[in-house]
Amino acid sequence: MICCKECLELLCDYLDGELDPKISASLEEHFQDCPPCIAFVNTYKSTTHISRTTMKNVEIPEVVQARLKKFIDEHKSKQ
Amino acid sequence: MSFSNPKQDKTEEEKLVRDLQAGKSEVFDKLAALYQKKIYALSFNLTRNAMDSEDVMQEVLLTLFKKIHTFQGRSAFSSWVYRITVNTAYMKLRSKKKEKSISLEELYPSFSGAGFQQEKIQDWSEHTESLLFANETREIIQKAVDLLPDKEKVVFLLRDVEGLSTEEVSEVLELTIPAVKSRLHRARLFLRKKLSHYFEEYKVRKELK
Repeated sequence: MICCKECLELLCDYLDGELDPKISASLEEHFQDCPPCIAFVNTYKSTTHISRTTMKNVEIPEVVQARLKKFIDEHKSKQ
Repeated sequence: MSFSNPKQDKTEEEKLVRDLQAGKSEVFDKLAALYQKKIYALSFNLTRNAMDSEDVMQEVLLTLFKKIHTFQGRSAFSSWVYRITVNTAYMKLRSKKKEKSISLEELYPSFSGAGFQQEKIQDWSEHTESLLFANETREIIQKAVDLLPDKEKVVFLLRDVEGLSTEEVSEVLELTIPAVKSRLHRARLFLRKKLSHYFEEYKVRKELK
């Protein structure tokens, strides 16, 4: 049986669906009987999700937007 | 972006690139509009500094404008823009940061000699949704991302935050696919470890109530 260490090392490829189906099935078989690995997988997935949601939240401030427009107009007219 | 169909977006983008290469400088603001938010967000997440991000955004747009004739279409235009953004942001950071490295052993749980987990792992994943919009949680996540070494951080930002594919990240950073995957995995493990302290503590606090 595949061990926890091997499962966690393959986790990135497993979640991306890039593992050989046989290896993927042996990971799933392991997870069925291993609560610590299930907790690890859940928290790994959750980490990716909450980090993406938080870091995605960047907007250009209005004042920067205005300066940018001026900057672009100046450079367009220089050509 | 105002378009909804990815294929149509790409055709529109290719036309803007060709027009700009042909000297039609009036299309520059349209091309800039497609990318300015992406450039700013990536710069801000890399530098964590609003002034630096504004400088990076202007420098990148200026480079696109002046060097558009050097873009030969061997990679996707977006990859070219992201590569210029990463390099420009790194120039800003060069004097400010020292390269750190992460030891993988510290990021995994402890294993027995046979490779099985020895410690109890807390599953805090069900508590994250309700906490996601709390300022404290956002600060904790941002701080954890700031602590990532640059090599892992840039892969994480491009792949998980900007949503590029593994192949696109490898093109932008000129890394092999296995190198991208390994850095992404390290980044996620690192963040998981940092966030675990916070969410485990929250779980305990909630259970005590």
